[in-house]
Amino acid sequence: MTMIEVKNLKKSFGELEVLKDISVDVKESEVVCVIGASGSGKSTFLRCLNRLEDITDGRVIIDGNDITDKKADINKIRQEVGMVFQQFNLFPHKTVMENIILAPMKARGVTKEAAKNKAKELLAKVGLSDKAESYPNSLSGGQKQRVAIARALAMNPKIMLFDEPTSALDPEMVGDVLEVMKQLAVEGMTMVVVTHEMGFAREVSDRVLFIDHGLIVEENEPNELFSNPKNDRTQSFLSKVL
Amino acid sequence: MEAIIDALPYLWEGIKVTAYVFVFAIILGFIIGLIMALFRLSPIWILNWIAKIFIDAIRGTPILVQLFFFYFGLNSFDFISLDRETAGIITVAINAGAYFAEIIRAGIQSMDKGQTEAARSLGLSGTQNMRYIILPQAFRRMLPTFTNQAIISLKDTSLLSVIGIADLTQQGQVVIAATFKAFEIWLVVGVMYFIMIYLLSLLSSYLERRFELR
Ligand SMILES: Nc1ncnc2c1ncn2[C@@H]1O[C@H](COP(=O)(O)OP(=O)(O)OP(=O)(O)O)[C@@H](O)[C@H]1O
Ligand SMILES: [Mg+2]
Repeated sequence: MTMIEVKNLKKSFGELEVLKDISVDVKESEVVCVIGASGSGKSTFLRCLNRLEDITDGRVIIDGNDITDKKADINKIRQEVGMVFQQFNLFPHKTVMENIILAPMKARGVTKEAAKNKAKELLAKVGLSDKAESYPNSLSGGQKQRVAIARALAMNPKIMLFDEPTSALDPEMVGDVLEVMKQLAVEGMTMVVVTHEMGFAREVSDRVLFIDHGLIVEENEPNELFSNPKNDRTQSFLSKVL
Repeated sequence: MEAIIDALPYLWEGIKVTAYVFVFAIILGFIIGLIMALFRLSPIWILNWIAKIFIDAIRGTPILVQLFFFYFGLNSFDFISLDRETAGIITVAINAGAYFAEIIRAGIQSMDKGQTEAARSLGLSGTQNMRYIILPQAFRRMLPTFTNQAIISLKDTSLLSVIGIADLTQQGQVVIAATFKAFEIWLVVGVMYFIMIYLLSLLSSYLERRFELR
């Protein structure tokens, strides 16, 4: 079953055309990694998938709902699409527990009791049970990012989007976060991951998209793409990062 | 010294009026400021314009003229009758509101975009984002600037004596008219304003510590 359907997606910021006709499908439980040089449009692509960016042209269909349709209930659709940011974006005035239970209570109408139980379960899953009452600023980067993942998962999303989730982390913290993501992938979560972690892409993803100047110039299963890149630009990018 | 002690009960009456006018005006002013700030940031152009005109008009005219406008100007219509206190409270409130609006708008705009993006990506609506994420954080940050404006507004209330509101300044004048002790009484009145403002800044630093951003 197709979870994400992107058809001829275009995105411009004023005169600057950042995405120039992107089409791609992501199936249920599929893990897709997006790689490419800085400024190639990876984040913009990801942010179009939950309409954090207004879509200039083309269609994006999430689990059967066309989010480019003006009548689409975007808040409802976003509840099904979790997002994890490079800079974590935890709410600093709320405890870890409050960060996690806010959206389930206010957007989904879950009771506080139920939301808390779910939050405890998720904190255990990301290895942070003892941090429920801490404030985000007292956590390390790796811990913050795991809380951010738990916060997104608390909505029971069908899809998870990750935008360079480990890029702002100290090297020794990266492993913990990737481990949590790997676990999610194993459990069958549909994931789109923008990453510079080629090891992760290779090991965990089902498919890798290489974006260059707003176009998907090559896509393939990871082993093939990494060992046998067909496109010149993929080759030159990989030769720099591998 | 005796003159001062005799004056205290009168001045105390004035303090009560000043405090009453100030508290009402500052609460009303805060509500006006919040609404105008949200209008100012609204994508609906008519709301935007209303807020812009309101803010510019109030900030671009002297408060004494505003006071005369609300008290004498509006009262010149047969169907309007504002008493002194109401006109005074409205003047100070609207004045504070215009400045609060700009403070709140700047506070909201200074928030990291990532906060809104995280909230919206979780499916929270724009209103929920404002209410639970943006405003609570922005207010904490704005507290020192709020205090500044509150102190200015407290001092502004002394202008209300010109329309005969029996505030601290007016009471001082009344006492002096009877005793001719201008030096002593104005000194005492000044000290009393100073104490009120000092208490206000104590309250503010308490709130700042209480709601410290963790
Ligand atoms: N809000 C915006 N307004 C104007 N231009 C933007 C905006 N966001 C992104 N851009 C531009 O769009 C292009 C693509 O940006 P994007 O963030 O998608 O790149 P990226 O592939 O994620 O890069 P990086 O690896 O550095 O994160 C860049 O040239 C960037 O300057
Ligand atoms: Mg990016």
